Amino acid sequence: MRVKNLGICVEGKWLIRNLNFTVRQGEFLAVRGSSGSGKTTLLRVLSGSITPDEGTIEKENLNSNECAMIFQDLQLADGATAITNALSGCLGRNSFLSSFLGFTAQEKKQAIKLLNLLGLSDKLNQWTSTLSRGERQRLAIVRSLFSRPRILLADEPTSSLDEKWAKVSLELIKKDVEGRNGSVICSLHDSHQARDFSNRELFIDSNSPENWSIQDVESKKS
Amino acid sequence: MNSKSKIIPWHSRFDLQGITFLFFLLLCLGSFPALEGSGRDLDYWNNLKGFALKLFPPDFSILRSTLQGIWETIQIASLSTLLASVFSLFLSLGAARTISPLWVVSITRMLLNIIRTIPSLLWAILAVVLVGSNPLAGIIALTFYSTGYLAKFFSEAFESADLKAQHALRGLGADQFQAFQYGLWPNLRPIIWSHCLWMFEYNVRSASIIGYVGAGGIGLHLKLYAESADSWNKFSLVLLCMLIIVTVLDLTGERVRKSIRDRLEGKSSLIKKGD
Repeated sequence: MRVKNLGICVEGKWLIRNLNFTVRQGEFLAVRGSSGSGKTTLLRVLSGSITPDEGTIEKENLNSNECAMIFQDLQLADGATAITNALSGCLGRNSFLSSFLGFTAQEKKQAIKLLNLLGLSDKLNQWTSTLSRGERQRLAIVRSLFSRPRILLADEPTSSLDEKWAKVSLELIKKDVEGRNGSVICSLHDSHQARDFSNRELFIDSNSPENWSIQDVESKKS
Repeated sequence: MNSKSKIIPWHSRFDLQGITFLFFLLLCLGSFPALEGSGRDLDYWNNLKGFALKLFPPDFSILRSTLQGIWETIQIASLSTLLASVFSLFLSLGAARTISPLWVVSITRMLLNIIRTIPSLLWAILAVVLVGSNPLAGIIALTFYSTGYLAKFFSEAFESADLKAQHALRGLGADQFQAFQYGLWPNLRPIIWSHCLWMFEYNVRSASIIGYVGAGGIGLHLKLYAESADSWNKFSLVLLCMLIIVTVLDLTGERVRKSIRDRLEGKSSLIKKGD
């Protein structure tokens, strides 16, 4: 993904201007910034759900269903069971008719495997509305990963998770997406998580929209 | 603070709520002459006592035919609710502002208003004229009547539904129908089922009445026993059976609706197998 001269203006105020960066295959880019700095808006612009006011986003050889997003407000179907929400991640790979009739045993097996990894094995048939916020957040991660994205945009995917599950979730995201030679762009508040899991960090500052910076995590560590 | 600013002018109390309340009070005052009745000097209490005594004891010799009549009533209510639900699903898509363009919404809502304006008894008379005096007339009548209400309820459910899950699935590559099936429908399904259940209960009551005009069901039995002078104890058995059926339906419906409410509010941990 290549971002060129990107500018985002919300209600007459520039959040970001002249943003330029390239996300390489297999890379984990952490987006950092204070609350209200425009991290969520940037991710929504990168996903294509909001049109930027300036600049371009180039996604080479990427189909529309190969870019997934984990939303901050999760956006799950509360009236469906956890397993159905997880399985709905693969709808982009299925035809209308096959998904109308349900999901294959193979797909169910794969979804259950992912749910097990995030500690939701005993919640498979439970209504999503009855899950805790943390469980719902892990379910949203599973749904997005099950769509097998080449670019995963994650908006604070660990905000409601305890330390243990935040670590497990970020490890799974990194391993799963990078295993397919994909890229992760993830907004994170926790500086330790950003340092432990990302290759680079993009800092944005709402007070000075052009004052963004990208830092290499490896060089910071050294 | 200036004490004058605390004084509320008397006319400010007359907002829309106040005016309608005042209008209602005046309407009630103007309706008092209706309490005079026929104007004849009747012994209301003895009349009531005499009528009540005729109802007891209920005549159980007609239990079999009464149960058959109630079964016919339930058949009419079930099929009319099913047909109305199907028609309403399609019509409600047209009546929902969040789904259809304004001109389609206007036409569909106008059609639904017309359907709702006609009472179930009039639908029954029309249906009896069309297909004769049999349960099919009842099914036709209550299908039309229920469609007017269910389509309105469904369209309101569509309009108030949270579309975020549907949009999220579109973002993951699902097509419009897949996103509806897995993103919107799971949230709507319990509400729609709740409305269908309520309509079924309502239709059982309605199906008991439309028999009066020949549209099948237990209403026909009620009419026969009410018209023959010495059959009030048979009439009371029919009423007793209807009371039991309606109470059971009411209690069951309330229980199901509570579980639906709990599920939507995240209180229930109901486990659904085999999804």
